[in-house]
Amino acid sequence: MSPSRNFAQPVDRRAWIQKLLAPLDEPTWERLAHELFAWQFARVPAYRRLCHAHEMTPQRLNSWHDIPAVPQQLFKREKLFSHGSVRPSAIYETSGTTTGQPGRQHLLQTDIYRALSVEGARRVGLFEGNPHLHFLTPSPRETPSSSLSAMFGFWQKAARQTGPCFWLRKDKFEFAQLRETLIAQIKVRRRIAVCGTAFSFVHLLDAWADLPSLRLPRGSWLLETGGFKGRSREISKSELYAQLSQLFSVPDNSIWNEYGMSELSSQAYARGTSGLHEVPPWVRILIINPATRREVRVGQRGLVRWIDLANVDSVMALQTLEVAERTSQGFRLIGRLPKTEPRGCSLNAEDLMTNSHSLSLTS
Amino acid sequence: MTTRQRIDLLAHAYPRYFPRTELLRLLRTQLGHVDALDTWIQHEGIRVRASAPKLIYHICAGNLAVSAWTSLMHGLLLGAHNVVKLPSEREDSTARREILSFIRGLPSSLQKLVETHGTLDTHLLRRADAIIAFGSDATMNNLRAQIRWNQKFIAHGHAVSLLWISEPERLTSRQARACAVDILTYDQLGCLSPQAIYISSNANVEKLGHQLAHALELHWKKIKPKPARPLSVAARITEARDMAHALGHRVWLPPNKHLGWTLIHDLDSTFQPSPLHGVIYLRQVGESRVSQALASVAGRISTVGVAGKALSSRLEKAFLSLGVSRFCAAGHMQFPPLTWHHDGRPTLSDLVTWIDSESIQ
Repeated sequence: MSPSRNFAQPVDRRAWIQKLLAPLDEPTWERLAHELFAWQFARVPAYRRLCHAHEMTPQRLNSWHDIPAVPQQLFKREKLFSHGSVRPSAIYETSGTTTGQPGRQHLLQTDIYRALSVEGARRVGLFEGNPHLHFLTPSPRETPSSSLSAMFGFWQKAARQTGPCFWLRKDKFEFAQLRETLIAQIKVRRRIAVCGTAFSFVHLLDAWADLPSLRLPRGSWLLETGGFKGRSREISKSELYAQLSQLFSVPDNSIWNEYGMSELSSQAYARGTSGLHEVPPWVRILIINPATRREVRVGQRGLVRWIDLANVDSVMALQTLEVAERTSQGFRLIGRLPKTEPRGCSLNAEDLMTNSHSLSLTS
Repeated sequence: MTTRQRIDLLAHAYPRYFPRTELLRLLRTQLGHVDALDTWIQHEGIRVRASAPKLIYHICAGNLAVSAWTSLMHGLLLGAHNVVKLPSEREDSTARREILSFIRGLPSSLQKLVETHGTLDTHLLRRADAIIAFGSDATMNNLRAQIRWNQKFIAHGHAVSLLWISEPERLTSRQARACAVDILTYDQLGCLSPQAIYISSNANVEKLGHQLAHALELHWKKIKPKPARPLSVAARITEARDMAHALGHRVWLPPNKHLGWTLIHDLDSTFQPSPLHGVIYLRQVGESRVSQALASVAGRISTVGVAGKALSSRLEKAFLSLGVSRFCAAGHMQFPPLTWHHDGRPTLSDLVTWIDSESIQ
């Protein structure tokens, strides 16, 4: 362990990035997790309070499995920032669609997020063949509070790509210009990648419903993320993928899902309708039984807990309300728990038209 | 079948929930006479009789069976044909099973007056003379858009309840137990379940919290069977606990941290919904600030249970201005009399139509 590491210092942050990008065997992972836990325990008061409630301190920690995780909801109530009153260079906000109040992720610098979000995408092969990237989001300049736009901006720079590639400007999709650009790139057989939220793809499908399909060159891919969040008509994941596959003439396994969130600095990726999510080596996922706070057995369902060594500036361990099944290979994401409201007698009253079930499934 | 015969059948099948004397009182209180549905009665110098709806459509909540039982009891008392739209099976609620079990427990002559549906039958919905529905605002709007203008529509939307402890330092163990009964009955899922305990701002919270925690644990031990704690419920409870710990709130947990109950002292007096399932917030507020603290649920507060001495007139006025429709003693929140005005409305007389027969000379 390196007790002198100071995550406020650029040199130490660069060294940390190098550590995470190097091969990570189990002892190294354990050591880095202990180190980051100790840093955040000492510097994030709300996290320290939570750890004390769980009777966990850096001195007591035996395994990274026992690192307490903050509820995702806490980002909406507390500033979870491991650099005290220092001014963060970036504040990313969650959509706030569930409660109306956004969660905030404070980053001292975007260096670690930039390096690892690019590397995570590179390692799953997204940048193979140097595809021309298109994003159905605003640019990071237009929405500096969006971690997704920020990541796409990092990808654009990593790909040394110039020219327009963010096709949502001032709340308007520029689908006509995008289509023209795609047609030109298809002609020169350039690989193409189109990335956006699920709802943006639904808008795209609606906008191009009466137009002919496009035949993207071999090796092209699509990437969707983020769900619908009440901003468009909702369709199932399989239906969305089928329609996208037809519209762009790409196979199902060329459509990726990115599973990430503003409160984290790393992402998981899955391929095709039924692909399992994979995380980079600096991330571990635990599927937790909330009643016991322990990992469920393979084949059982639990809640997704992220341990993200790239999340240096806030808290590395995040407890989500997303349900997944633990598999022998990792996890199969199922969906988010429904929100609760003060409904009294009509709590969870039936949705009459859909006869919905207790979980809103994403797949 | 006469009203009295139906009363006898209901009371015989479910004497604990629907005692005969209570059913008779309900008829007398709301219709003026037990036989008002069967014969002419004298009222203010003229003859009147009540006409019951022929078809009532009940749309049940997914979380709690007791509201459906009561709704159905009203329909059966009136001798109406009752269509019940059942909630779907859920991992966090046994409501559907309990509603079906209730119907199976009725005598056959009353069972004939009930039919159940898993999905909404819009044809029957439009044919119904009256609709009694429990649901979200969106559900109510949706239903209202589908019905005829001359159908009776009894909508029970979102509602919350709370406890007020008047003199926390004088709370007896009996009163603490009464609070625990209110909190833990029906796993806190009903509109009559308190989601917060309010006390005055200068009370000794530590002592009170300890006392309430003790009472909650004692009552939890008596509950059989214990309510289920599937993944979705356990997730909400542990999230509430972790949030409270991280925010620096005082949290009282059961001795072995089981998920039966959770008591959290939140320094913010503003009402926030509880995740239910035994999670109760203790909040402090000065009497002059009650209206602000509860502003977010104004018009949606069903019951205020009071432990200790009666509310001051100032406090009562504040609650009335917030639209509170029922006050009762702690320990009685979940067990209103059958004559209770649910959401401030007369349950039976809302459903009937009156026929007047003036003297013809």
